Amino acid sequence: MSFAQKIIKYCYTLEGSSRYKGLKGGVYNLLQNPRAPIRPYFDIFMILLVLLSVWLLIYEVKHDLGLWGDLIEVGAVTIFIIEYLLRFWLYNDSHKVIIERYERAEFINETFRLGPALYSAVIGKLRYMVQPLAIIDLLAIIPSYRPLRFLRIFLLFRLFKLFRYTRSISEFVKVLSEKRIELVTLFIFMAFITFTAATAIFFFEAEHDGGQIDGFFDSVYWALVTMSTVGYGDITPQTTEGRVISLVLIIAGLGVISFFTSIIVSAFGEKIHEIRAHRVFSEVERKHVDTLVCGFGRVGQVVAERLSEDKRSFVVVDPLEENIRLAKQRGYLAVMGNGEDNSLLVSMGIDTRINRLLCLTGDDVVNVYITLIARQMNPDIEIISRANHRENVNKLYRAGASHCVAPYEVFGLIAAEYAGQPVAFEAVYGLLTRQTSEGIEAVRIKRDSSLAGKQMGEIDFLARKLIPFGIIRDGCCDSEIDNSCFNLNERCFYFNPGEQFTLQANDLLVLIGHEYSVVHLRDCLERGEL
Amino acid sequence: MARQDTLIFGCSALGHEVAMQLSERGIQVYLYSNNLDEVGGLLAKGLQAAVIDYTDDEKLLGIGIGKWVKTIFCLFSEEPKNLFLTLSARALDPDLKIICVAESIESSGRLLAAGATKVIDPYEISGQRVHEMIARPYLVEMLEHTVFGKHIDIAEIEIPDSSVLAGMALSDLELNKKYDLIVLGVVDLELSNQLIFTNSGVDHRLDAGDILVVIGCKQEIERLRQGVSAAGEP
Repeated sequence: MSFAQKIIKYCYTLEGSSRYKGLKGGVYNLLQNPRAPIRPYFDIFMILLVLLSVWLLIYEVKHDLGLWGDLIEVGAVTIFIIEYLLRFWLYNDSHKVIIERYERAEFINETFRLGPALYSAVIGKLRYMVQPLAIIDLLAIIPSYRPLRFLRIFLLFRLFKLFRYTRSISEFVKVLSEKRIELVTLFIFMAFITFTAATAIFFFEAEHDGGQIDGFFDSVYWALVTMSTVGYGDITPQTTEGRVISLVLIIAGLGVISFFTSIIVSAFGEKIHEIRAHRVFSEVERKHVDTLVCGFGRVGQVVAERLSEDKRSFVVVDPLEENIRLAKQRGYLAVMGNGEDNSLLVSMGIDTRINRLLCLTGDDVVNVYITLIARQMNPDIEIISRANHRENVNKLYRAGASHCVAPYEVFGLIAAEYAGQPVAFEAVYGLLTRQTSEGIEAVRIKRDSSLAGKQMGEIDFLARKLIPFGIIRDGCCDSEIDNSCFNLNERCFYFNPGEQFTLQANDLLVLIGHEYSVVHLRDCLERGEL
Repeated sequence: MARQDTLIFGCSALGHEVAMQLSERGIQVYLYSNNLDEVGGLLAKGLQAAVIDYTDDEKLLGIGIGKWVKTIFCLFSEEPKNLFLTLSARALDPDLKIICVAESIESSGRLLAAGATKVIDPYEISGQRVHEMIARPYLVEMLEHTVFGKHIDIAEIEIPDSSVLAGMALSDLELNKKYDLIVLGVVDLELSNQLIFTNSGVDHRLDAGDILVVIGCKQEIERLRQGVSAAGEP
């Protein structure tokens, strides 16, 4: 077996090894996967380590470190080296590169040559080494090597390692990098002015007798200090020509500074919503939010108020800035954006964390669209949609809504009921909306409950100030048990059960009564005093 | 033109919806609007509608407000119109039932001050419904199929003068055994127009003119209605 064959065999062993893959997956979770639960802890640990080692660097300038300091330094460097090597390993799969080369060679019936394959594998790793963050990592390690002690100042690069571990710094860099073209333009302009001014001042002042400029470096230093409006005043022009150059440079400097400021401000102005949205996303993740409310109009506001009264966690999405401001004022999690935005829904975790979506916008087209894409991304999610027009209810159900609410239909129902029988209506309206203290409540009969197996006639509901309304039981309806029964989805509702009706475990007993009476009944059931 | 005692002002989607719901309950309605296009749309759907200048009191009198009209719905989509109509109609008839739509809590306060009998906020109700669906899914499903469906009705039954029920206590009725019905409570208009719940602990003694509020199937409610008015044993 030749050396090349041995290597290929080894590559295939790696490819087939579940242990190798598990190990690599674990390292990926630790170092790179932003969603891994261990990441925050690792990041905090690394930040502390970096700060500690930089503190040691500062301390060492005037003091002696002693044994413990040296040990900490060695430990930190070891961890940095291990981290660097792991990232190096993680960047790509060299064995896959070789396998791919080999299979291609086999396919077109060529002899496989190890040299080029190894070369491309090495190139892949080198590509990692020239990445800015990888260079920073390397520079943070190298000066610890004794012969390279003179590079000690590069230990400060350890601070730059913080980019890896904190989100806000990396966001800052990302925002600036989007303004690359403007910044490069500014830099060229600045270099041009500095060079011109420096040459001119050198030309006039270096020969002058009382001049303070000795070399070209002095003139560049003077030009930058003047242009940036810092103006130390350690070097000042002595000739009239030199002063004229200063005047021009000062005015040009004002332009450069204001240009620079405006680039930064506009970059953040454009990105601020995105940055805020990212904050909310991580909050959503941290708090295990499972309800997404799309649309913060009147309906959305009422729902949000009720949900927060129930201490349920939810997040609001709305395209209007004023609605988002209102939501934030009330202390809700809110993101500005369109519910139709696929990527927004994904970042919220519609396919993972979120298990309830409320489409409450005033536009049926939007509601149908959100319902449809959410249903496609997550078949198990519960979707409650608002239908603003009667004819759209069916479309919403077809798009995948679990429930629909039509404000106008509900209004019509209530208004018509009110016109016919105002007294009954007031009572029922109160019961249904729980605006009065009397309400419809359900009590679950547990397996070991004393009520299971009892007949309705045996329980004196009236003495407990309750009216039995009916029973909801899993399964199909059996009209022999009670005449008035109604099929729900996979459940059956027995209205006004007779005295002989026998309760079973897992039944839902629906009662009308004061909330205290119901709470008292539940309490009694828990303690088995019934 | 027949003398309708229920009128709807405003022919938007909301007006259409209410008209449909009312006609399903056998109440004939007439719709009015100051917008010709909306009226045309409703006429095309086979509803009775007409154009009216609601700012003119003479016109309102002409269609029977202050005379035979008992209930009006103010369903314009703009709040000032509803407010104006409520004020005019209230001035014409102090006993008129005026039901208004409101889109915020503040506007519902204004409408009530202007003289509306009942203000309904469709968004508030919808929001509550959505919340109920989340908080109590089984109950909502049950109510959708029964009370909001066509199976179970809620009815008011007035006790006539000669009824045998007069003089009986609420707890002696036992209607839920004799009929397949639940008696929610009773309203004694001589006391107040608040409902006295059956479970409130107050054992109200019925007399003629009281109104029973019951829940049940249509047939059972009809049977009770006949039983109550019959002079014999219920």
